[in-house]
Amino acid sequence: MIVNRAAFSMPTPYAEASALTTAHPPTGKPAPNNPIADDGDALHFCATCTFGQVCMPNGYDKSALRALHCLVEHIGPFPSGHHVFRSHDPFTAIYSVRAGMVKTSVVDDLGREQILGFFLPGEIIGLNAIYTERYPCNAIALDTIALCRFSFPAMVTLATRLPGLQEQLFRLMSKDIVKATLLAGDFSADERVAAFLLDLADRYAARGFSATRFRLSMPRADIANYLRLAAETVSRVLRRLQDQALLRIEGREVHLLQVDAMRHLARCVLHR
Amino acid sequence: MLRDPVAMQTHFVAPAIFDADLIARHDVAGPRYTSYPTAPHLDARFGESDYARIARSSNEDPIPRRLSIYVHVPFCTSPCFYCGCTRIITRDRAKADGYLQRLYREIELTAPLFDRDRTVIQLHFGGGTPNFLDIAQMRDLVESLDQHFSLSRHAEREFGIEIDPRFADAAYVSALADLGFNRISVGIQDFDPAVQAAVNRHQGIAETAEVLEAARASAFRSTSVDLIYGLPCQTISGFTRTLDEVIALRPDRVAAYSYAHLPETFKAQRQLDASQLPDAATKLALLGLCVEKLTLAGYRYVGMDHFALPDDELVLAQQQASLQRNFQGYSTHAECDLLGLGMSAISKIGNSYSQNAKDLIGYFGALDYGRLPLQRGLHLSNDDLIRRDAIGQLMCHGLLELRPFEARHGIDFHNYFATEWQRLGDLETDGLVVRDADSIRVTARGRFLLRLVAMVFDAYLSRPDDAPVRYSRTI
Repeated sequence: MIVNRAAFSMPTPYAEASALTTAHPPTGKPAPNNPIADDGDALHFCATCTFGQVCMPNGYDKSALRALHCLVEHIGPFPSGHHVFRSHDPFTAIYSVRAGMVKTSVVDDLGREQILGFFLPGEIIGLNAIYTERYPCNAIALDTIALCRFSFPAMVTLATRLPGLQEQLFRLMSKDIVKATLLAGDFSADERVAAFLLDLADRYAARGFSATRFRLSMPRADIANYLRLAAETVSRVLRRLQDQALLRIEGREVHLLQVDAMRHLARCVLHR
Repeated sequence: MLRDPVAMQTHFVAPAIFDADLIARHDVAGPRYTSYPTAPHLDARFGESDYARIARSSNEDPIPRRLSIYVHVPFCTSPCFYCGCTRIITRDRAKADGYLQRLYREIELTAPLFDRDRTVIQLHFGGGTPNFLDIAQMRDLVESLDQHFSLSRHAEREFGIEIDPRFADAAYVSALADLGFNRISVGIQDFDPAVQAAVNRHQGIAETAEVLEAARASAFRSTSVDLIYGLPCQTISGFTRTLDEVIALRPDRVAAYSYAHLPETFKAQRQLDASQLPDAATKLALLGLCVEKLTLAGYRYVGMDHFALPDDELVLAQQQASLQRNFQGYSTHAECDLLGLGMSAISKIGNSYSQNAKDLIGYFGALDYGRLPLQRGLHLSNDDLIRRDAIGQLMCHGLLELRPFEARHGIDFHNYFATEWQRLGDLETDGLVVRDADSIRVTARGRFLLRLVAMVFDAYLSRPDDAPVRYSRTI
């Protein structure tokens, strides 16, 4: 059942800058600045899917999972603002983002939202519900999203059946924890903003998308909330980085121009 | 939509060529594309909640756009018969107080929709006659704007005002400079007494010079004058004298507009004696005269009625390919969200246009009930945005580079614009444009027929169900 994945081309949402002027994106398709992981089908995982990357080497494609009562289905598109799940909902599934961006957040008793993270195509949400059996946060679409839904009546059971899955789940969850603490230190606004952009860039790059041009689908208030900064401060820092020609921002699009200089700026956050 | 400034190019470095035969052959009525879609296509279903939603979401970009504010002062003391603007004729100065009250209310309702860190880098007072307001009223108005918005303190800010020199003196102009204004636009139209009598606008050279000199003395950074060709009783010899007098005044910019006689649309124009209008050949010769004399005097033709001295920001912006089209003609600051305040004012926020009520009853009525005085608007579709970009590139730089354009919009140009490409072929045969695999360029001769090139990309012109919309012509 296992086919050669090499035949699938990786999605390249942005051509490199030099190629940009010669690319001929097909008519009618969304603009090339919209990463989508959509090369999967009824049997095969999308190339960018973290979950698929664990199952496939172990000989489990989608039909094998179905035999284990694990239903894998593509759902969406859903509009911006759509709740994938809400805090305290019973855990029924984890989701892999196929297109768009999802944020997770918790709301305190005073109604204040605290953003936990942003999830890109190929990344998985809902992992933090596996052992509590209830979602501990909200997951909300930041633009038009499409998802892959893995419904597991007994995720833990499956993990024991699948060599490597449990390990991968732990790895994914510990990554989440690292991400959550990444910005907890006593860092300057410049360091935080630079680290935030580089983190996104690295995650896009890891899935074959452009690491230098991407879209910030979240409102600046969400970036500010996540980084524990004022919205004006986020913009002021970005404007300064733009004036220094480290990056360029147009609308919601970011173009990183001097990645090394950015990395130097963010080194204390990134190299802990 | 990332734009690479290095890849963006301008084509309008060589001077334009005035080809009277070509213009005469191709002159058709058409929009001036100060916006696309053009104002007649705004829709009455667009309302206050749409505006508020779009305004709030415009705060959400990583670096929200700065603001540009237009304030409309609709009053004039005396009617000029050529006028196509939305204005109210009155000698009653107290009328301004009632209007200002509503304007303050509109400012109070609008300002909270925009985050305070979005500085106002551009401010423009237009009319009507902005100097219908006395200095005390002006000061209150600017202070109200400053209190509710963050007016830029930066030297690069552009605070402009249109002035009728018949009702302003040097002291008034210098007081405007104290309020922060640094650009002035002065209406002239024509100094020929016969023309002035025919259009009911008697204006001396001395009073015009006084305003312009006061502006320069009080460090206004840019001075601009408006002329109109095609007015009744206009002659080549009379307009030659006017142009000599204008050139002697040495404004940084000259706008020479074509008079559009549309008495069914503009009531004021019914008072004009149409039999005194110059014929098409004379009107064309008047434009040719403008081009010839202004060019000889060192002015560059920017495009669509506008001339400027070589060191003027418009010319520099055109050379750096950063020029933009806006409601005042051309601008160097179109990355702003534009807030129109006052009766009939048009806003451009995010991907939307919207317009306030066009009469005092509608404008006062909404505000007296605590509502924004919006009358209509439009949320631009993806197709609108693609076409607006194409029209903007052609109007500002005379050049549409197809590969970057395709990358910006994710389209295949030839696929998307198959019909348009064919129609451009006709314009190419006539020498208005040249096309190759990578670009569309407006020729030096085609620059006076820019609107014709732009019209190729206007999807609203060919819709059969459209109510007929009247547009002006070049000639």
